[in-house]
Amino acid sequence: MPTILDLHSHSEASEDSRAPLEAYLNWIKLRHQERPVDGIVLTEHRQFNAGADYRALEDKFGLLVLKASEVETDYGHVLVFGVSEEMTQRFDFANVHLDAQELVDEVARMGGVAVPCHPGRPNVGLCEHYGLKPPLENVIAVEVLNGGSRKGEDDRSMELVRTYGYRAVGGSDSHLVSLIALCATRFEADVRSIEALVRELKEGKYQPVDFRPKRKPVPAAVPDEVRHNGG
Amino acid sequence: MAVEYDPELIGKVFEVTDPVDVSAQDIATFCAAMGETNPLYTDEAAAKKGPYGTIVAPPSYAVTFRNGRHFFTQVPRFGRAGFDAGKDVEFHAPIRPGDKITLSSHVKEIYEKTGRSGSMVFVVVRSTVQNQKGEVVAHIDHRFMNRP
Repeated sequence: MPTILDLHSHSEASEDSRAPLEAYLNWIKLRHQERPVDGIVLTEHRQFNAGADYRALEDKFGLLVLKASEVETDYGHVLVFGVSEEMTQRFDFANVHLDAQELVDEVARMGGVAVPCHPGRPNVGLCEHYGLKPPLENVIAVEVLNGGSRKGEDDRSMELVRTYGYRAVGGSDSHLVSLIALCATRFEADVRSIEALVRELKEGKYQPVDFRPKRKPVPAAVPDEVRHNGG
Repeated sequence: MAVEYDPELIGKVFEVTDPVDVSAQDIATFCAAMGETNPLYTDEAAAKKGPYGTIVAPPSYAVTFRNGRHFFTQVPRFGRAGFDAGKDVEFHAPIRPGDKITLSSHVKEIYEKTGRSGSMVFVVVRSTVQNQKGEVVAHIDHRFMNRP
């Protein structure tokens, strides 16, 4: 059975988010027709809470909640899936200057997968760094749809995918409740655990999906008929 | 290179203000300014029947107490420029007329992050708001962003 997951989200455990996990899950239930995700992955900034257990909330809302991390490197921000104790001992997740190539290689060796996120974003995305330094080796996938992207950033990410042949994922990068699940990733396989997610990211079939509402033309401040009637 | 600072900065109280008296009139003035009409804060008779047995201040009143004159000179700075990046407030106990409120402040946390606009160092200063009985009525975390 296909599975749709928002692979990038931040709860109030991240210092720049005020969104409680329960509110995220409640919002997804309320908006499920527009954002039909089966679950989310919490990717808190520069940390990993190995002990956090969300089973009660998963059961309450019937949604999957997985844990990963967003770390900061010399090539920008990277999502790390399949975080283990070995990884958190090997890398100081709070260090914002991690060596990206080392991270990609070591995370893979330890059984996880590192996915550079919002590559089209200035300063903290791969694209800008690829203009200055050699491209990273052994990258499997990058995040091409990011709910926090500004105009043109996702386009730059798509161009990167076309140039380097990376696989593509999507995530909301939500820091606010109402923005959860605006972008996500659709897996052909049934994904019910972090191990399955890592396996599918490495070997499975998936594609990014965009649930952002299409932009409407900005209405004129005063409608023509009103303006012409002197209203 | 990671941000460098003296680890002894963390947790060290660098300022305690003189006590500030809270009067019923102060609370009434604050409520009027904020458009607050909840009788627990504005109506003595109604408040007597309420959970605190007297008028109390609205929770946000806790942020009206000013830090001391040396507060900003004591906040660690990194790099060339910065700005106030917001406040988080936790409310713990009501503030009542007759309370004498003090603020004590310490550096809670220093951390670095990167974003669209470049590198940033955040300094979080926690002010503990206490009454004359030593009860903590609120914690205010002031967040300051610096450009290294």
